Amino acid sequence: MTQLRVSGLSVRFGGLSALSDVSFAVDAGEIIGLIGPNGAGKTTLFSTLVGLQKPTAGQVFLDGRRLDGARPHVVAKAGMTKTFQNTALFPDMTLVENVTTAALLRHPLHEAQRVAHECLERVGLGNVANAQADDLTFPQKALGEVARALATRPRVLLLDEVMAALTPLEMDSVMATLRDLRATTNLTLIVVEHHMRAIMKLSERLLVLNFGRLIADGEPSKVARDEQVIKAYLGSEHAQVA
Amino acid sequence: MKRSIISIAALALALLVFGEMLNPTGYAIRVLCLVVLAACLGQSWNIVGGLANQISLGHAAFFGIGAYTSTILQVRWGLSPWLGMPMGMLLAALMALLLSIPTMRLKGPYFALATLAFGEACRIVATSWPSMTGGPQGISIPFLGNSWAMLQFRGAGSYLPVLVGLLSVTSIVFALMSSGRMGYYLRAIRENEDAAEMAGVNTLKVKLIGSMVSAALTAAAGVLFAQFTFFFDPDSVFSVAGISIRAALIAIVGGVGTLTGPVIGALVVVLIEEVLSAYLSNRAAGVAPFTFGVVLILIVLLRPRGLASILPALRGVGAKQ
Repeated sequence: MTQLRVSGLSVRFGGLSALSDVSFAVDAGEIIGLIGPNGAGKTTLFSTLVGLQKPTAGQVFLDGRRLDGARPHVVAKAGMTKTFQNTALFPDMTLVENVTTAALLRHPLHEAQRVAHECLERVGLGNVANAQADDLTFPQKALGEVARALATRPRVLLLDEVMAALTPLEMDSVMATLRDLRATTNLTLIVVEHHMRAIMKLSERLLVLNFGRLIADGEPSKVARDEQVIKAYLGSEHAQVA
Repeated sequence: MKRSIISIAALALALLVFGEMLNPTGYAIRVLCLVVLAACLGQSWNIVGGLANQISLGHAAFFGIGAYTSTILQVRWGLSPWLGMPMGMLLAALMALLLSIPTMRLKGPYFALATLAFGEACRIVATSWPSMTGGPQGISIPFLGNSWAMLQFRGAGSYLPVLVGLLSVTSIVFALMSSGRMGYYLRAIRENEDAAEMAGVNTLKVKLIGSMVSAALTAAAGVLFAQFTFFFDPDSVFSVAGISIRAALIAIVGGVGTLTGPVIGALVVVLIEEVLSAYLSNRAAGVAPFTFGVVLILIVLLRPRGLASILPALRGVGAKQ
């Protein structure tokens, strides 16, 4: 069943086309990897899906509800949210306050605090719940982002390089958590990640962006053999992995 | 929240008891009233300026709107300022709503400059509309004798309970807005608006509510100022330095975003001003404001989080002994 449908999405900044005519559909519970060289438009696509960036053209539907042009909090309430690439926790709040803010979207205060602790436990940050967000290490901040996003109870979660600074061991544990979430709540995940190992292991389907265009959409093993994809990556370190 | 209410009640009681000990028509009680009025102004500003970090330099607009609304209603139709006050507050809240349409998406210095311009625009309107406001000559409230109904008294001391009442209300509103759901939202907006939106916070709505509440409480302070001074002109109530910047200054010196900050800030700022003008104004021109500036710079340099940040430090010292 199609949960997220994107059709003809374009974003232009003046003369520059950041996204051109991007269309794809996602079923509930899918785990999708979104890859592409630097500047391909991955983060722009995420920002546009959640309403932080207004599209120049095209539509976004979540469970049949049209969301393009809606403000981010409306999109979050509708069930889709994203994490921020370089982490954007509220620095002067404690970690649990960060997550509570998001949990307030669907819960009264005392319950939101309980939900926040649950979400932190889920990503393995229960022991630093009361630390000032600014004092956390980068991997902790990235996981904190995930916990805050989960606290909005999303049905579609867009993860922007949350594993960038993790050790292989931490990465495995995050991936296990994400798979577990999918299994228990049928959460749909779209993941941007530069670690090819992680993305190939986690995702069941890959979307490939290049110069703002979607150049491939399919099973990871097929996409990896796709001529256009290899061309887009040629010369970069990812080409060898793919 | 409970602790905040107790602190506010204790402060109100202390102010009233202290006021009782002063000569009700003397200079000291007049200064005390000015301190409390300044604290009201700083605390109102603190609601958006402190909690959401929307640094407004145009709060004089709301202060002046409050003062003019109640005074004009009083002078023209003999309406009691007790009725003029809610009307002034409502008008100020509506103006905040209007102002927010062009300014809500502005950030940092751009927001500050836009609000500054709005305050100035209000001053110019008041100056150039003499048929309504009395124009540059100002407007005065006729003295009808001591009267609670008309909120006017011969001695400054009688104003103190009213001023303390407004400070308590403003502080309770601040405490309410800084705790609970609204507190989380305002702090999230202060720290990162995009991330707040993404966490599901309707940032425009939250900022709008904050601005309107802040504007209304500032207008109430303006009404009391008018009643207290009996005379004002556009340059005094719509003053950039005297009201707008002062509101921000009081909160910043005392401690932005804290409950006690504006009270401490008002005490320090008003007392320094009074002491300096009493002892230094007959010396070379400019010595008093220069010294005032130096003291403020020192405070901000030594206590960047405001004077209120000394309180927990002191408690820490006490606990160790």
